[in-house]
Amino acid sequence: MVIYPAIELVRASLGRYSITGLYQGAVGPRNYVRLFEQEALPAVAGNTVIWVATVVAVTIALSLGLAQLLNESFPGRRLVRWALIVPWAASLIMTSKLFVWLYDYYFGLLNRVMTAMGRAPVDWLGDDRTVMGAMIAVGVFVSLPFTTYVLLAGLQTIPGEVYEAARVDGAAGWRSYRLITLPLLRPALLVAAVLNLIYVFNSFPIVWTLNDRNPGFAHDTMITFMYKIAFKSALRDVGLAAALGVVNVLLILVAVVVYLRAARWREEPV
Amino acid sequence: MGSMTRRGLLALVLLGAAALLPGGCGGDTPKSIKVVIAEYSRDHTRPFWAALAEQYTKQTGVKVDLQVIDWNSIDQQVSTMIQNNQPPDVLNLNSFSSYAKDGLLYSGDEALSPKTREDFLEAFARGGTYRDKLYGFPILASARAFFYNRDLLAKAGVAAPPKTWDELVAAAKRVQALGGGTIGYALPLGPEEAQAEWSIWMWNNGGDWKAGEAWAINSDKNVQTLQFLASLANTHKVTQVNPGKTNRTDGAFQLFKDGKVGMVMGFSPLAAQLDAEGKVRYGVTQMPTNVGAPVTLGVEDYLMAFKKKGNQEAVRQFLDLYYQPEQITRWIGAEGFLPVTKSGRERMSGNEKLKPYLDALPSARLAPTTDPTWDKVKLDVQQSIGAAVQPGGDPKQVLDRLQKNAAESAR
Repeated sequence: MVIYPAIELVRASLGRYSITGLYQGAVGPRNYVRLFEQEALPAVAGNTVIWVATVVAVTIALSLGLAQLLNESFPGRRLVRWALIVPWAASLIMTSKLFVWLYDYYFGLLNRVMTAMGRAPVDWLGDDRTVMGAMIAVGVFVSLPFTTYVLLAGLQTIPGEVYEAARVDGAAGWRSYRLITLPLLRPALLVAAVLNLIYVFNSFPIVWTLNDRNPGFAHDTMITFMYKIAFKSALRDVGLAAALGVVNVLLILVAVVVYLRAARWREEPV
Repeated sequence: MGSMTRRGLLALVLLGAAALLPGGCGGDTPKSIKVVIAEYSRDHTRPFWAALAEQYTKQTGVKVDLQVIDWNSIDQQVSTMIQNNQPPDVLNLNSFSSYAKDGLLYSGDEALSPKTREDFLEAFARGGTYRDKLYGFPILASARAFFYNRDLLAKAGVAAPPKTWDELVAAAKRVQALGGGTIGYALPLGPEEAQAEWSIWMWNNGGDWKAGEAWAINSDKNVQTLQFLASLANTHKVTQVNPGKTNRTDGAFQLFKDGKVGMVMGFSPLAAQLDAEGKVRYGVTQMPTNVGAPVTLGVEDYLMAFKKKGNQEAVRQFLDLYYQPEQITRWIGAEGFLPVTKSGRERMSGNEKLKPYLDALPSARLAPTTDPTWDKVKLDVQQSIGAAVQPGGDPKQVLDRLQKNAAESAR
């Protein structure tokens, strides 16, 4: 089930295709050579790093706080826990379209707030300085629920006695969080980070929907770039797109391995 | 040894059977055909084609695997079908020549009855021709027209919609000067349909995509046109914010429907939406021009018949059923588009709502869809021309690059 598409992808990346999708024979590694000659590639790779690193880091930081909050009992906790699921359950395309309207220069809620505060309106999705930030905000928004629940599950596996013991030893507040909660949360953090890494890297609908008005490749990630190579640019080349697909799979594998290595390092004796 | 012989015999029998089949001329009709149609509207597309398919099955006994696919993903899905060697039998799309070039299609002589072939309007038949043969069978057409907001123009003291570019600039300035977020002219040069907007401006300045057989995207006239569009945005400041990053449907049209825009280039589906909402009092007229008579863009979509073993007769019957005057006219009428056949034009000539577009048809020109290179040029224009009208954009550089890419693709 996993192997077959992978083989097909590699096979496609070694082939030459007409604009119609018609297979015209094998060309060896030529698509890979052409891929690395693409002028847009460095910018796209840079965008991808910024997109993945920022969304994952901010998501985890916010989720740590949210999970902590949801772990405490307070009136309405059930409601908040349910509310948090909404962005998770909604389709990514619908969520993205909703944000397109929130960000809209003329109709958007965000610019109404800006003008009410006496600031000039901003073309959030058209201005080169704000597009990536606008996309990242949506990326974080949709990643929060899953991440928070993974961390919340992690928090609930930490037995209360550990904290009691710590309190007896005089550790409380931030100190107890840093010395007890975070280390014991490590497995959940690892899971959250790795899954988010893969998920955010592969995320298509957000970048595609929020960036669809911008010509060229200035705000694309590797995934939307791949789609544009195949269907939406003058290249229109399935073989070249497949080569990028193979590179993407390898990149994400390397990224995960590197991350896991780095995370385990710190596990070694203190 | 025994099994070898049996297998050998079997192969011989199969070969013999294949030889008996009249090569591609029917006789052995398929059990079903795959028909892929683009979704023009939720309300009309699927119901019409489902009913047509049902009638076809009743008449021929051949089942129809009908797939109605939205415009956003149809290129991708069709490409995947062809990659997997499962092409449709009948396909509806806005391009055809690349498929003809790849040798995937039946020509009109092979897949249409003479009566159907002769009914096509001359210009649209020409627009479906590749190397002197008809491969892209016209399915419907549309034409752009110039829309203006009557109330905004009146309020700005503009007596009549502009006929020239100078008048357009003057009118747009006055509308923009009304303030409160009012926009003189909504210019969508984002990726969705930039090639359409650009074609109209280009032609109304005397430029064109090609000069003879060669691409001429960066001609002096075209550079002048794009500089003019950039000046609308950056010098006169009479467009919406970031016109190079505004799409048509959710950008320019949306603003016009909201009553914020003085003028925009639209087409009949926009008129239908405006009528349904009843919020904007609008007029429809010819394009403003900078040289000579006004020109508009005609868009022709196609039906294609894919060559597959034994499907020729089944496909021919299906196409002939669609091209029966009452069928094609019923659908085109429901979708609000323009006829592509002589009989259809006669039937629809009395339709008041379509009058401005039918009137515009004689002055309409088509994009160079008969050249397979166009399929790439179009995408290149969509992904790059917007950059030319952004602050600091360089119209000449953008067009030079488009020209270079087009010349390379054409080789």
